[in-house]
Amino acid sequence: MKIYHQDGTSRAFEGGPASVSQVLLSLGVNPVEVIVSRGGKVIPDDTVLGPDDEIRIIRVSHGG
Amino acid sequence: MGADPDGVALPSACDLCGQPGVFLDRMCNRHLCADHFVGDVEERVQVTIQKYAMVQPGNRLAVALSGGKDSTVLLHLLRRHLPEADLVAVTVDEGIDGYREATLRSADANTRRLGIEHSTLSFLELYGKTLDELVRDQPNRACSICGILRRKALNTIARRVGASKMATGHNLDDEAQSVLMNWLRGDRERVLRRPEENGWPGLIPRVKPLMEIPEKEVALYGILKGLFAELPECPYRHTALRGEVRGILTSLELGHPGTMRRVVEGQAGLSRKLQPLPMAARPLRACELCGDPTSGRLCQACRLLHGEEGSKPGVSPDS
Repeated sequence: MKIYHQDGTSRAFEGGPASVSQVLLSLGVNPVEVIVSRGGKVIPDDTVLGPDDEIRIIRVSHGG
Repeated sequence: MGADPDGVALPSACDLCGQPGVFLDRMCNRHLCADHFVGDVEERVQVTIQKYAMVQPGNRLAVALSGGKDSTVLLHLLRRHLPEADLVAVTVDEGIDGYREATLRSADANTRRLGIEHSTLSFLELYGKTLDELVRDQPNRACSICGILRRKALNTIARRVGASKMATGHNLDDEAQSVLMNWLRGDRERVLRRPEENGWPGLIPRVKPLMEIPEKEVALYGILKGLFAELPECPYRHTALRGEVRGILTSLELGHPGTMRRVVEGQAGLSRKLQPLPMAARPLRACELCGDPTSGRLCQACRLLHGEEGSKPGVSPDS
């Protein structure tokens, strides 16, 4: 699985099928603080991701 | 949860129509598709506006528009819900290099798109210095200094455009953070203040139509409506106590959905119950330097700009 961040960086995620929340938590990201899209479409936190999926993490808070 | 022909697991279906979901409401374990999510947010904001009688006929409503996601969503929702209202967007340019330029462009683009009058006031014009210059020697205080000076600047520009009320884009997360920060700072005055306590000559009454919508839902609404721009993060964001409190609250919200709502509702109920007590009723008076309302001799902004006694330079533009 490939994960893209807002700053343009990306990283690979190894492991079996896991939900969006599980993937985020394993990366140290709180699902409450981000929105995730796959193929340009937003998906709920309990969507199960497979090894070929590519997701994008969008942080929801920018202000001070 | 099924799979498409390529074997990709589909998102859970909307509980209302069966279309692919975009959002899981953790509090009630409900999935919503894009259309139902957008409709749900719009309805809840309309209910909030009506419940608190936020806007009355004849109001000239200033909309505090930073150009970020919350205020942009707010502007579009107000135009949608109040098509006949006299709206004027007001923007404060704090002077944060590398951050503010993009959000100011976004504010300008959105007001043009909606045909809404737009007025901007900068820290440089009002205080003689940018925020970057004011906090150069004390970056760790940037958020508290900015908050105090921005509040005053927003009130100043709202008065200049003749507004009778001002709407801000504070969401549920912001409100919960403020409650917790007031307790952590031991700020008894703010802890006891009624949420609707708002009136004073010269102080434009404020309303918060997004105050019951979690930040994530405001952002998702913005994305689904094509309003969410890729904007830079405020460079001072990580220096704030608010940033730490945000992390604590989102962690609690993850493990205990509804925490932020309960924090805000609990605080509102507490401050209403405490109002009859004499210690809760601290009268306001006019700041001796600028005339803005304050519970002491000088308002927070004047203490910051001119020192505790009003004569020292402090972080004043004159320093």
